[in-house]
Amino acid sequence: MRYPQRRGRLSVPGRKAGLAAAALLVATTAAACGGGQNDSAPKAPATIPELTKDPLTLSFIWFDWPPAHALEAFANAEYAKERPNVTVKVKTVPNANWHDAMFTQFAAHKTDFDIPILDSQHIGEAVTNGNILDITDFVKKNIDVKAYNPYLLAAYGQFPQAETGKRDENASLYGLPLLGDTWTMIYRKDLIGDKPPQTWDEMISVAEKCQADNPGVSGLAFHQANGSDAAAVTYNTVNGVYGGNLWNPRTRKIDGVLNDAAGQEAMDVLVNKMKPLTAKGSGNWFIDEVNAAVAQGKACIAFNWIAASGGLLDPKQSTLGATREEILDKLGFAALPSQKTNLVPLGGMGMHVSAYSPEANQAEALNFMKWFEQADIQKKWAAAGGVPSRTDALESPEFLDAAPFNQVYTDSVPRMRDMWNVPEYARLVDIENTNVNAALNGAKTPKEALDDIAKEQQSVLDSSSGKGGGGL
Amino acid sequence: MSDPAPLTTDHPGQVASATPPAPGRSRRSRRLSDRGLAVAFTSPALLLLLAMSVFPLLWALYLSFTDYSATRGGPAQFLWFENYTAILTSPQVHQRALTTLVYVVGAVTLQTVLGFAIAYLISRRTHGRGLLTTLFLVPMMLSPVVVGLFWRFMLDAQFGVINSMLGSLGLGQVEWLTGQRTALISLILVDTWQWTPFIMLIALAGLTAVPTYLYEAASIDRASEWFRFRTITLPLVWPLLLIAVLFRAIEAFRLFDLVYILTSGGPGVSTETLSFHVYKVAFLGFNTGTASAYGILMVLVVIVLTQLYLRYLNKLKED
Repeated sequence: MRYPQRRGRLSVPGRKAGLAAAALLVATTAAACGGGQNDSAPKAPATIPELTKDPLTLSFIWFDWPPAHALEAFANAEYAKERPNVTVKVKTVPNANWHDAMFTQFAAHKTDFDIPILDSQHIGEAVTNGNILDITDFVKKNIDVKAYNPYLLAAYGQFPQAETGKRDENASLYGLPLLGDTWTMIYRKDLIGDKPPQTWDEMISVAEKCQADNPGVSGLAFHQANGSDAAAVTYNTVNGVYGGNLWNPRTRKIDGVLNDAAGQEAMDVLVNKMKPLTAKGSGNWFIDEVNAAVAQGKACIAFNWIAASGGLLDPKQSTLGATREEILDKLGFAALPSQKTNLVPLGGMGMHVSAYSPEANQAEALNFMKWFEQADIQKKWAAAGGVPSRTDALESPEFLDAAPFNQVYTDSVPRMRDMWNVPEYARLVDIENTNVNAALNGAKTPKEALDDIAKEQQSVLDSSSGKGGGGL
Repeated sequence: MSDPAPLTTDHPGQVASATPPAPGRSRRSRRLSDRGLAVAFTSPALLLLLAMSVFPLLWALYLSFTDYSATRGGPAQFLWFENYTAILTSPQVHQRALTTLVYVVGAVTLQTVLGFAIAYLISRRTHGRGLLTTLFLVPMMLSPVVVGLFWRFMLDAQFGVINSMLGSLGLGQVEWLTGQRTALISLILVDTWQWTPFIMLIALAGLTAVPTYLYEAASIDRASEWFRFRTITLPLVWPLLLIAVLFRAIEAFRLFDLVYILTSGGPGVSTETLSFHVYKVAFLGFNTGTASAYGILMVLVVIVLTQLYLRYLNKLKED
């Protein structure tokens, strides 16, 4: 049997195949090169365009937690009364993938969701890249902005970021509040008494005594993990309470601001006073682990997001009582203690409109937002387990009677402070998370960790030329 | 009825024609059409390979010389070797490289010793060998994410079954996933639990292939067990074992999933491997240019080390 000899030159079909492959590579390269233009956020119309009568699925994207499922059930039950041809689908991803799941689709300029639910700190990145619609004109025409605490409206929609506690009425809006949230202090009434500690120092000493008096129960439980924004929010909370600042937004200075005397004191309190009161091996705890510790009666005082606290009252998930009432005899919920300031962390998320959604879906998304922000719908959302943002809903019996921690939220609204809402947020929070986590787990000293955070974050802000070099 | 046409041909894969071809043009066209057929059959696979594998690699190579960002868009500016220099001189990268090296050496060594030992013991059994082999292979069949999730629960310092067992033996709690040293050890142990069967399988294949007459001859010479192992078993299985080590080392070098699930790189960044760091550069900051250069450098490291390793294997074979 003879085999074809190899020749120096390709045969005609071989050359054709080679040329075709080269052409394909060039074409694919050209396709990949195209579409990478950076657009500023496109504007949504002030008036909602005509809505389709055809069946339509309005898709949200959020991370997987109880409020996401509550939203889907609520929207399909209530919004369907107004728009029977619309089905609402809340797509969920693991919390750790939430940012990536949204922004990789934004990067492709094609999304399988219409309403991304962004953390307040994601807005800067999305706006700068032109990923979400500018809804300033829409809000002016359709939303009663006076019905909200101005800072809540600003935190979930305004860019550039508002000053803490304020809203700049001349700034553009890119989102509306969907779910308000902050930390609540969860305390064991049966172990430390009915009255919650009022100051941070008092809270630490109460937790210390409780731990000493109750072997097997740790004094404190809080977020320490290095994923998502867990450890970063914990440090930022203590930083705020002890009078520190995360940065100077006007000068974009972090180094020298975050690690000033107040910042150092906050880190010292967190690592040297609070950490010793936590359970061994709790250095990777986040929402679920803190809830598990509380539900199993293993913590005297814990801190968690209000929106994630509903499960604590479920007797099936708790060893504290056979009924909700029995659990509530042992668990109390209070706003965070104050110290040098009374600041609390701003949590929650806003809803936005994807710039890459079809026009019919964008129109439906705007209509949903208008519907959702009505006073009676906000109260119904509160009754369904959501945390509304309108002041009238926050003060309504529907909200305050729905859960024992809802009063905590209403009381905390004027005390809220957010992190940095800048395009570099994801890297800033990762730097803070990993360093605070390192300090909490003994991999760095508190001072070393804080100085590293300040230095690395400053370098991210200083090198943010808007391009993709650097980033190590 | 005509006679059957001859079915042999000079060219493999060429279908014989029943009708004799006309001279000149038709003979050339037949040759072309056969070639064309070959191209037609191979081109879908080639095009898929080009689109899914070659193009992304070339595209990543191009991006690695630029400051391109997948989200921030805009035209990519050429930085030439700036990204590569930044990566090679970065203390952060050096730290992750050291972590990865410790992990690769620790995990692959442990897996090789255990895998070979298990294979050796199994190969000496006559009963239940198939069942034992199958049972040992189960961890390898599981998804690393699933393995990571259930080990995360088992290694939890407060609620995990491992500490509960240690407690019942009167031993103290170990912070498996949050201690600076124990976190990396935990990663190595979990990876070893999952991938020791791979080494075992390859070693078992090698052990089964050792001719029995060599052992019989050694028995006649009254050679000790250790002498037989040292002079017959190990030299014959060694080349195969080295190939298994090569595969495992490449896999371990790319470790991402177990880190992501078990420790998220913590505490701090003490268990962040190179792959995990690339992920952060690529998807947290969307520094696509840097991430591409980082990825290319990792591929180059694997290629260079593999080449050196293969040369050693060839030399071993020649000797």
